Amino acid sequence: MLNKVVIILTSILLYKVGGKLSLRSQLLKGILEGCILSIINIQPAYGYELSVKLQQFGLSDVSEGSIYPILLRLQKEKLIIGEMRASESGPKRKYYKLTEKGQEALQLFTHHWTLIKGPVDNIIEQGGKTDGSN
Amino acid sequence: MEATEIIELNNEKRTRLTEHNLKYYEDMLLYIRLNGNKSEQQTEEVLLEMLEHLLQAQEEGKTAEEVFGDDPKAYCKEVVEEIPTEKRKNQASLIMMVILQFLGFFAGSYGILGTALHYFFDIGSALTTFSIGSGLVILGIDLLLLGAFILAILKWIKQSTFSKKEIKSWVEFLQVWAISTAFIGLIVVIHFVMPSFGKEVSIPTYYLAILGVIFYVLSFLMRRKQNF
Repeated sequence: MLNKVVIILTSILLYKVGGKLSLRSQLLKGILEGCILSIINIQPAYGYELSVKLQQFGLSDVSEGSIYPILLRLQKEKLIIGEMRASESGPKRKYYKLTEKGQEALQLFTHHWTLIKGPVDNIIEQGGKTDGSN
Repeated sequence: MEATEIIELNNEKRTRLTEHNLKYYEDMLLYIRLNGNKSEQQTEEVLLEMLEHLLQAQEEGKTAEEVFGDDPKAYCKEVVEEIPTEKRKNQASLIMMVILQFLGFFAGSYGILGTALHYFFDIGSALTTFSIGSGLVILGIDLLLLGAFILAILKWIKQSTFSKKEIKSWVEFLQVWAISTAFIGLIVVIHFVMPSFGKEVSIPTYYLAILGVIFYVLSFLMRRKQNF
């Protein structure tokens, strides 16, 4: 019960609720946005590279293709810009980098995330115990 | 990079896909491209990104389903939703270009055919007579019909993507034939049914041929300038 409340609160905090998507995918998308922003912040990257990095960090449950709608949205909101340029291995690729607005959004995300991460972990860990005894 | 360059690159790279992945990707390509009011540049950029992603995944032995999921239509809808709309200016010039081409084709073929029939075979008159008022109304209706025809065809192509069962080609042919016949039929019917009103004028038929050629050249120049 308490887990659900926190998850719902998290989603309200992080995303515009009320879209057509389910709560679960809303939640995931907002977190993915934050992850993509922070990966690009370290080094400009292109689509495939980004999805590989997300997988390397353990987000293997996320389908690779799901980054493209997110990249489009981040561009539309002017948080990132894409630039076609030749890659080291040859073909031209679209490399993304953060804009100033993107930096601010990333800071905001990091701030919200650190506030929510600890409590959510605690609740999920103790969830089983509180169900019975509390 | 311009949208046309990206399209060429896409055409070239697409040939490297396996048969299975190509079918999956081309359905996505059609579905995503057939959204008239979306930015062409952004559309082509994301399509190329998806293609390159798929090519790399293919080298690692993955299928398109593993990359983009089992429901490509839902996925494409998500992508399309996030593509920004085309700038008003570009939309307007695309519509203008289509209108010029349409007028150019009809005025040109009517002008050339009419003139040739008269001078070589002595059929009909060298003059074309029409009423300004009803002429303009018919022209307006024809252009609206043209718009409806293009939208109908786009919609028809779009519904044919992602279909699980193969539709027989003669059925497809019949469907397109029906849409086209309705379009041409309506144009002809309106031409005959509309009562004439407004001042009547006569111009030499070959003027129409010249006008048609001018329209066509204009639309061609616009196309080169806009890179459509």
